[in-house]
Amino acid sequence: MREVCVLGVGLHKFGRFPEKSVEDMGRVAILNALDDAGIKFRDIEAAYCGRVYAGLMGAGLRVINEVGQTGIPIVNVEQACSSSSVAFRLGYYAVGAGICDMALIVGFEKMERGMLRATSPAHSYEELVGMSTPMAWYALEIRRHMEQYGTTAKQIAMVSVKSHRNGTLNPYAQYQQEMTLEQVLNSRMIADPITLYECSPTTDGASAAIICSREKAKKYTNSPIFIAGWAAGSPIYEKGKDYDELGIRLTEKLAKEAYERAGMGPEDMDVVQIHDAAASGEIQRFEALGFCNKGEGGRWVEEGRTEIGGEIPVNTDGGLLSRGHPVGATGLAQIAEVVWQLRGQAGKRQVAGKLKAGLCHNSGIGGVNITILKT
Amino acid sequence: MDEGKGVRPLKEGLFEVSDSSPQNVHLVGSKCRDCGCVFFPKREICFNCGKRSLEKVPLSTRGKLDTFTIVWQVPPGALVKAPYAIGRILLPEGVYVGSLLGGCDMDDLETGMDMEIGLEDLSEDEEGIGLAAFIFKPVA
Repeated sequence: MREVCVLGVGLHKFGRFPEKSVEDMGRVAILNALDDAGIKFRDIEAAYCGRVYAGLMGAGLRVINEVGQTGIPIVNVEQACSSSSVAFRLGYYAVGAGICDMALIVGFEKMERGMLRATSPAHSYEELVGMSTPMAWYALEIRRHMEQYGTTAKQIAMVSVKSHRNGTLNPYAQYQQEMTLEQVLNSRMIADPITLYECSPTTDGASAAIICSREKAKKYTNSPIFIAGWAAGSPIYEKGKDYDELGIRLTEKLAKEAYERAGMGPEDMDVVQIHDAAASGEIQRFEALGFCNKGEGGRWVEEGRTEIGGEIPVNTDGGLLSRGHPVGATGLAQIAEVVWQLRGQAGKRQVAGKLKAGLCHNSGIGGVNITILKT
Repeated sequence: MDEGKGVRPLKEGLFEVSDSSPQNVHLVGSKCRDCGCVFFPKREICFNCGKRSLEKVPLSTRGKLDTFTIVWQVPPGALVKAPYAIGRILLPEGVYVGSLLGGCDMDDLETGMDMEIGLEDLSEDEEGIGLAAFIFKPVA
């Protein structure tokens, strides 16, 4: 594979936009990414589109149609909450393999309020008996963790407090208001011990990125961001172990692969985006990504070591909890945040110092994508 | 549950009842004839060795509560009422079973508890006959 750069990124604000279509939001994100890259749509040779609920057939074609009709091949990708990071990886494969020099990735979503409908087909046994609720899967996993390692409800709530604080610094975030520890802990219980404000919301929004070969990037910038490492996979059966529903064990394995490809380790990551669909997920995945020993993740949060000013800043843009979680657009929003951080363009939430590398972890119904970016 | 009318499952294939008695319920799993691995729900191909030689087996009716949660918001499409408890039961065969929990005060649930299978009507058919889901409840 040849070296591939992220030339531009762009978002449409995350939030609730009942008056807007996915075409409207996708167009804004794409135009922002094109402008950021300094290119025109006609420079794009292929497009990869992530979405889940956008129930129109060939939704990607309709969104891309908003910005042009140049005959490029378009791929629609659905992989639950990791759809746009899968789309990103497919684009990376194409550019890395030399099939094309410049590709557009876009993620977009419009979601209903309320709880996510997670299983298909509808009326599966799990759905009928009330087991197909992702927040309960997080609750089942974190109970084991709490009992084994002493992780506390307070530590889980502090993830949400941190995310909301970071969200106030991000103009693209769905929630830009602080939340106290008491507010999080005292919010309505969803699936014990996960409270309402420890759950990511449903969200409308769109995200986009332009990727290209290193050669091509030279024409547009002197300081491109490189895709340094990646890893992707789905759950692995292990005899005698429970189904890895949240991809925690899978994340441990893939993190090693991604670090090896990048020639880096967790100690080299200056900024990290973790899939925190529930606050507890950030703790378990922070550990699985090798940033601390198993069981220490809760203490890292409690001690402020994952804050923007801490040792390893996590979910600097507010994460899924505050930036929002338009499922098909989330993965690329993580990538956009790391690109901005590495360029020093993250505004009030900018991590101090000269940043060299960052990691994105995006998960969807067990599948996991890890992307490492570097300057 | 009215024993006289027999038991109608909410979904076929997950559990069986012998002698039409809800007391004699067991889950239906698959066992690999080659490597001996056991699975629930039943499946055609062995996750462990990839062989296609699985046989249908009744599973143990008792296991340990590995983890659980009390759910306070009913997800779309569910027939249960909040709050309700769900959990993972580890059976002696080494299989984890996701299950609705019942038969006790939810505050009394503890990981490591010995649990046994039972049935609970969650709905009814056109004739008013109950449609049962399997549950796990603390061993009396």
